[in-house]
Formats: sequence, structure tokens, C-alpha cells
Amino acid sequence: MTKNDDLAQIIIGCKNGDSECFSQAVDMYASRCYGYFYRLTGNKDVSDELLSTLFVKLVEKIGSYRGGSFESWLFRIASNIFHDYLRSKQRRRKLFDERKKQLELEVTEPKYTDSERIDKLQVQLHKLDADTRELIMLRFYSQASFKEIAKMRSEPIGTTLSKLHRGLKKLRELME
Amino acid sequence: MNGQNEENLKKLFEKFYPAEQAQRAVEDVQKAEQLLRKHPAPEPDDMLIANIKAEIAMRLPLRRADVFRRLAYKVATVAAAVIIVTAISVSLFEKGDRSEKVVYASIIPRAIWESDNIAADDVDLAILTAEMEQIEDEVLALQWGENGGDGDTAVTELEMELIEIDSDFWKG
Repeated sequence: MTKNDDLAQIIIGCKNGDSECFSQAVDMYASRCYGYFYRLTGNKDVSDELLSTLFVKLVEKIGSYRGGSFESWLFRIASNIFHDYLRSKQRRRKLFDERKKQLELEVTEPKYTDSERIDKLQVQLHKLDADTRELIMLRFYSQASFKEIAKMRSEPIGTTLSKLHRGLKKLRELME
Repeated sequence: MNGQNEENLKKLFEKFYPAEQAQRAVEDVQKAEQLLRKHPAPEPDDMLIANIKAEIAMRLPLRRADVFRRLAYKVATVAAAVIIVTAISVSLFEKGDRSEKVVYASIIPRAIWESDNIAADDVDLAILTAEMEQIEDEVLALQWGENGGDGDTAVTELEMELIEIDSDFWKG
């Protein structure tokens, strides 16, 4: 049985409400989805929360999956969850206006624990603009094709290609 | 299902860049992706994964109930639609089949119903009643053979009288 056949069986099981199949889906995608959230937020606690939200959404929405690339479908949900998180963060920022400067500092330069400080990539990633950073992470962790990513982002494939190329080139320069 | 494995990056970039530039772009992308692989993000804790699985197991019965409820609503909706469509079809079919029959008060001629002259109508009705009684007598006489046995003549006369009543007499 190929990997695609395995995945198809898991998806059918999930649609039938089989908890074992959901567990297998978690094992298959938790690492990649966690990496995606972590690289975008730079925060372990937030990534934990977003990953939990993602799999709860998976349980709720699996019935609406109508074939095609499962990774693209799953990462589209992940992307929506990340954007919801950003919006709630912005709302919080407005509410706690007196802490504005402090919070802005968190957005542009995330705070890291000792283990996180050594992650140079994380630091350089946050020097890129938010949209490019998300695009790079979407491409890397979803392993979707450019065509699928362009469709996910509702933009022409040429735009996706050039944004990603520019972003990756800049990231390489920053890392050198 | 992994789209990246199936795509030809060089071909894709060549659609938007000249061949040489496309080649450089592909190298840029591949090198940067190597860099990302060299710096993996942290893995989720085992405890987190266990918690997620436990939460899924907890939510599944709720989801099943939700699915069942939605299914029940769908079935009820379809059943209601079928009943309504059947009822409409049957009523339309019956309407199409049923020929409208207007039953007139056949004994009293239409001219009397439509007339506003009560005095004249009373006279006409009296004549009609007398005619009817006469016809009844003649029919009975025919049935009992009291008119001397010339049945053909009697029937012809009766028919003529009926035609007269039906046509000329009541029109004026």
C-alpha cells in the first residue's frame, strides 16, 4: 500500500469518526503543522494552542473535505487559524494600549527562551515581512506545489513564485 | 498527494523568467529550502500530542450526535418535500381529470330563470305544470295500454309535444 493509499484510508476513517484514524492523522501532520505555527509566531505556548485548535477544527471540518490535496486543505485551515490568532492579538493590543510599545516589540522581535535563542533562523525569519514569512512557511511545511499555494492564497501563480523567490533569496542573505 | 514532488520547478520558472534567470531562481529556492531543513523547528511535546488525541476522542461522540442530527434534519426535509410535491401532483392530476359539469335546474326552462317578469312567469309555470301532468297521464296510459294500442302514434305525438315544449313554447 502506498503512502497516498494509507492517507486515503485514514481520511475515510476520520470521516467515519474513527478516533484511531484521527490519532494517525495527528501523528502524520503534528510535526509539520507545529513547525509552521512556531516559525510564524516564534512562541511555543502559542504554537501549542494553535496546533490543538487545528486538530479540533479537523474533527469538525473533515466532513467538508471533498478530495484533492489533503495537505493543501489542512494548511489552509492552519493558515486561517494563524490569521484568527493575529486578529485576536491585534484586538488585545488595542485593549491594552498602555502596553503598546512592549507588544510591538514582541511582534517585531519575539522573545526567546535560552533554547530558542540559538535558533538563528527564527530571528532572521522575523526580519522578513509577515506575508513573505507566511508564504515561505506555507511552502516549506505544507509541501504543496506553487499552483496549490497560489490557489490557497487566491493570487496568480507568477505572483506567488516571485514573492517566494525574493523572500527565500533575502532569507539566505540574512543567514549568511 | 504531495504537490511539490510532482512539479517541475525549472519549467514553472521558465514560464515567467528567461531560461538563465529561471535556472538561478530554481537554485535560489532549492538552496533556501536546504537552509530551512538544516534549521528544523522544535517538535511538539509528547504531552501536547497526547492531550490533542484525548481531546479528539472526547469530541468525537459530540460530532457523531451532530452528524446524526443533521442527517435527521435532511431526511425530514426530504420527506416533507416529497409529501408536498406528491400532494400538489395529486391535486393537479385530479383537477385535470375532473370535467366541470354544470347542473341546471332542468325541469324549469332557462327562460323563466332569466326572466324578471314575475306575473308572466307564474302563468308560464302554471302552463308548464299542466303540460307535465298531461304528459305524465299520457305516459301512464301508454304504459297500461289504455289508449287503444296504437303505440307508435302515441309515442310520436308525445315526442312532438316534448319538442314543442323544449323549443318554441318557452322562448316567448
